[in-house]
Amino acid sequence: MSTSNKVLAVALLAMTLPLAGQETRLDTSSSARIDFPADSPLTLISTSMGESRATARGGAVVLDLHMTLTLRNAGVRRVRGVTLLITAQEFAPGGKGSVARPCIDVAPNQEFTVPVDLRLVRPVQQGAGPLVRVQLDGVLFDDLGFFGPNKLNSQRAMTFWEVEAQRDRAWFKQVLSAKGDAGLRQEMLASMGRPRLDVAVSRSGRTVGELVPAADRVAQFAFLKVPDAPVEALDGFAGIMGNEAHAPRIEVLNKSSKAVRYMEIGWAVKDKDGVEYVAGSVPGSPASMLLPAGQKTSLLPDTTLKFSKGGKPVEIQSMTGFVSQVEFADGKVWVPSRESMKFSPLLRVLAPSAEEQRLTDLYAKKGLAALVADLNRY
Amino acid sequence: MKQHPDETELALGASGDCGVWAGFRLRRHVRGCTECQAAMESFTDLRGALSADLTHGTNWDERALEMRANIRLGLEAGECVRGAGVAVVAAPRWNPRFALALASLFLLAGAGIFLRETPTAPVNFPPTLASSDAGIEFRSGETSVMLLNRNGVVADQTVSTLGEIRSRYIDGDTGAVTINNVYLQ
Repeated sequence: MSTSNKVLAVALLAMTLPLAGQETRLDTSSSARIDFPADSPLTLISTSMGESRATARGGAVVLDLHMTLTLRNAGVRRVRGVTLLITAQEFAPGGKGSVARPCIDVAPNQEFTVPVDLRLVRPVQQGAGPLVRVQLDGVLFDDLGFFGPNKLNSQRAMTFWEVEAQRDRAWFKQVLSAKGDAGLRQEMLASMGRPRLDVAVSRSGRTVGELVPAADRVAQFAFLKVPDAPVEALDGFAGIMGNEAHAPRIEVLNKSSKAVRYMEIGWAVKDKDGVEYVAGSVPGSPASMLLPAGQKTSLLPDTTLKFSKGGKPVEIQSMTGFVSQVEFADGKVWVPSRESMKFSPLLRVLAPSAEEQRLTDLYAKKGLAALVADLNRY
Repeated sequence: MKQHPDETELALGASGDCGVWAGFRLRRHVRGCTECQAAMESFTDLRGALSADLTHGTNWDERALEMRANIRLGLEAGECVRGAGVAVVAAPRWNPRFALALASLFLLAGAGIFLRETPTAPVNFPPTLASSDAGIEFRSGETSVMLLNRNGVVADQTVSTLGEIRSRYIDGDTGAVTINNVYLQ
């Protein structure tokens, strides 16, 4: 090694050592940029960075965010949901996330908080400026009106959450009036303890003209009939390799009289012991939509799902699909009714809605009286 | 001698290297046979010419001495080798330096095998999002980042085949639902 090379190596080492594993506490002024539109119905009252830190790891910086944003409803309508887009780097994996707060009921001029607990990654050398950018992606009101740039399709997601919340609140109120406290308690207990699966998702890498990438076998979906569903899943299969399911393909028919612009098929798998889990959802890609009334289309997500439980692979014995969400071209949405769910095996595996989860948690922590009081609020 | 002598006998006779009786008979025949006389003279002339070339600049006495010395050396060396071979086979001697060198060699080889990292071919895993009880993990090659659940609360996680995982948890203090989304791309 020449003398100049030795000097260069020592200099590089001296520069690298302080960076390795170094943690820097973040402060709002220099680390985060918070952008809300000028006409936003929500105004930012304060921001706390909490224990947010940046840690250098190789050529990347890991941002461990523990922020709290205090917002005020500056509009005239009640706010039922808000979604924030959090960006460290826009177009690379691990650089973008979002935080949503659904199932809220914020009156005009009322303040509320949104916690941002995320880890994001960005390159070390990404120019000057704040490390993280927080943007308002959408606000949903009690009349299902929406405000925001909607980059993440948060309008659709929050609308589904709100419609599910209205459905479940109405259901629990109905149970309470029909069966009293005992009936409501029974519903709460039934809502707890659904089996859950660990799922990893990655791109399949399906090549042109290939229906299913390399797999041991091809498994057919069995579809649950949801009586009032505007879309019917006709046929579907996925390549199975051990505990991996590759590139599912599902053919659907729009049975309704309206055009459909989005749908989701719930995906449940059964293991060797006959235990059924919700594995994930197969949404329609934007390219395959809009689906006119009476027409068919195929959902072809190019992804692989890998199932495990407690670190052990779960071998897939069979798969079940069911229509879980539909959005029509006019913006109206459909979700399965509680009556449909009650009379089908769907309820056994379907993940509870955000509102049902909140109410169940409220019952578990504060008891039936607190739950009844919450149901009577609105 | 009724028959003509062959060429070998004539060549030997020309150099005076045949026996006494054979030499007498050869000389008698050659005196009465012009053909053989001519052949023998040609051998004599050839020998003379070769002898003149070979002896030019060569000290044959010196060569003879060197050859004798080399032969003697070879015989003595052969005796030495024969003697040493018998000694090794009969009584092998313990050589600590040899044992030490052998042990060091084994130690070096063993350490090399023990410390050798198994060469792994670079595996090009696609970026993956994984949900587990600990939270949502993003893996890309050898890098992984964990999105932790807030306050260790067990969250409900939904995986979308569009490459998105949604983690939902209940805030322990406020009881409000928060949904974190992470995206594969």
